[in-house]
Amino acid sequence: MTAPSPAIEAIELTKTYPGDVHAVRGISFQVEPGEAFGLLGPNGAGKTTTIGMLNTTVTPTSGRALLGGRDVAKDPMGTRAISSVVFQDAVVDQPLSGRRNLELHLRLWGVNTAEGRNRLHQLAEDVGMADYLDRPVATYSGGQRRRMEIVRALLSNPQVLFLDEPTVGLDTRVRHDLFDVLATLRDRTGVTILLTTHYLDEAERLCDRIAIIDAGRIVACETPANLLGLLGDEVLEVRVDDTSTAIQALRAAGLPEDDILVIGSTVTASLRGSSSETVLHQLRGAGVNVRSATTRIPTLDDVYLRLTGGHITAAEE
Amino acid sequence: MTTTPTALASTVDTRRAPRPIRPVRSLGTLTKRRLALTVRSPQSLVLPLVAPALFALAIAPALANTIHAGPGRTAYMTFVALSTAGLLIPLNCLFSGLGVIVDRQQGAMRELLVAPIRRSSIVFGNLVAALTLTAFQVVVLIALAAARGSNYTVGLRALWFVAAAVVFVILMYGLAEILTVRLPSPVEYIGAVPALAIVPFFFAGSLFPITALPNWLDAVAKILPLTHALALFRYGLTGPSGVTALHNIWGLHNATTMAILSMAVLVLYALVFVNGAIRVFTKAGTS
Repeated sequence: MTAPSPAIEAIELTKTYPGDVHAVRGISFQVEPGEAFGLLGPNGAGKTTTIGMLNTTVTPTSGRALLGGRDVAKDPMGTRAISSVVFQDAVVDQPLSGRRNLELHLRLWGVNTAEGRNRLHQLAEDVGMADYLDRPVATYSGGQRRRMEIVRALLSNPQVLFLDEPTVGLDTRVRHDLFDVLATLRDRTGVTILLTTHYLDEAERLCDRIAIIDAGRIVACETPANLLGLLGDEVLEVRVDDTSTAIQALRAAGLPEDDILVIGSTVTASLRGSSSETVLHQLRGAGVNVRSATTRIPTLDDVYLRLTGGHITAAEE
Repeated sequence: MTTTPTALASTVDTRRAPRPIRPVRSLGTLTKRRLALTVRSPQSLVLPLVAPALFALAIAPALANTIHAGPGRTAYMTFVALSTAGLLIPLNCLFSGLGVIVDRQQGAMRELLVAPIRRSSIVFGNLVAALTLTAFQVVVLIALAAARGSNYTVGLRALWFVAAAVVFVILMYGLAEILTVRLPSPVEYIGAVPALAIVPFFFAGSLFPITALPNWLDAVAKILPLTHALALFRYGLTGPSGVTALHNIWGLHNATTMAILSMAVLVLYALVFVNGAIRVFTKAGTS
């Protein structure tokens, strides 16, 4: 018996736009069937372009993409038939009702009427949108519209679901609510998910593996636990007046340079077994004015910042 | 939120192998979608009809009263009233193009682009919808003009009118679809409408025969698709007098030959514009 094909396979995918703009620079990854895979990166890192190359809306400059073993370039209709997309912003017919939008998806994906309507009814009930299903989408709140788009994407029972920053612009409560819906639907349908997001908590909550992408390249690809392990068990975060002197003192204390991150007047360093008291003593001994100091366990934010050297913002890519 | 595990679990096992969606089915779905969107904004149905109806009901009789007295009055009123279809069709097709721009900017276009359908079927779906709406509007316009006193001859030759109108809608919609890619901002797009829908109307033999134009403008008029469409409209609906418009273009004596030649010109334009529309739409759908 042959092993099943990966649900998603990107092989040296590259996209260069006119003007020598390198959006994606030869990225490769595989996503197994049923896996939830996160693509994390700052604005302009190439996340949306990567999804575009996988869903046939962006033509790769070079490289190959396969969905369910099918070559995206050679069989675009076949790969579109087994996938669905939830886009960053609203991609709906606002004047039509939610039901009409959902039925349009069913027809376009060739789901036969009885099976499709049954699934529509079930999914709408399960995400709690049955009450407003027949209202024009223009009257929906942001969260309601997002639910509708998630239901729509699952109607055709896709093998692969692309979620392109699905919670951008939503408040915290709605974000959590939607991720609860997504996690539930994922558990039950076994759909393979490729998620791009700025929110590390979302990726940590939903994804089995996370690839951190920066300037069009994957700089790390691990499980959330392994990514967290990159920075050891504890980090020290200090606010200082003179960051240059602080960095020199931290190096002198034996902390690896790669583990030291400076943003503004805040310096973060992985302790890697060193005592925080000892490190702080050395900082003060070097004449650094430490305004505040905190030790804590590393978060994905720390890992992300170390790997990308930048902030995460909620702005759209 | 309440969840029912068994309900969704039942959907898991039905995951099917992808199968191609029949083009006719996707075309029907896309046409219905476009019509449903249009019906929800009645102004898009009515507004393109306003100017041509005003022409047919008020301006045509007024011009006829001013220029012609006695028996020539009705003939001239009919001449102008029929021309208004040549105003209505471009206006309606170009306004339909606005719907495509809205689809791209605020609508479901990207959902359509990732659907397992041929991208050309999106263009054809919009085209069939535009054809349906325009047919309805043209019938209303012709009926209004007839009620106002225009005198049409309805016989087998009316098929020339129908065929010319259909092909003219196809070519104008193709042009509209190309414009939506070339001028993706609604402001720029609207700015181009008068140049494409209204200016040719005055040089295509709508208010006076093209022979009344200066020679160079007469030559320009002969390459305008609207000139050929209007000539065929007249040939189809105004009896023997309608042959004059064809003769003004071709200078031949066989009416059928001239009608075929004008139809060939329209078909050629339609093929060029629709082919161009599919090309630019498909290209614009993939960056």
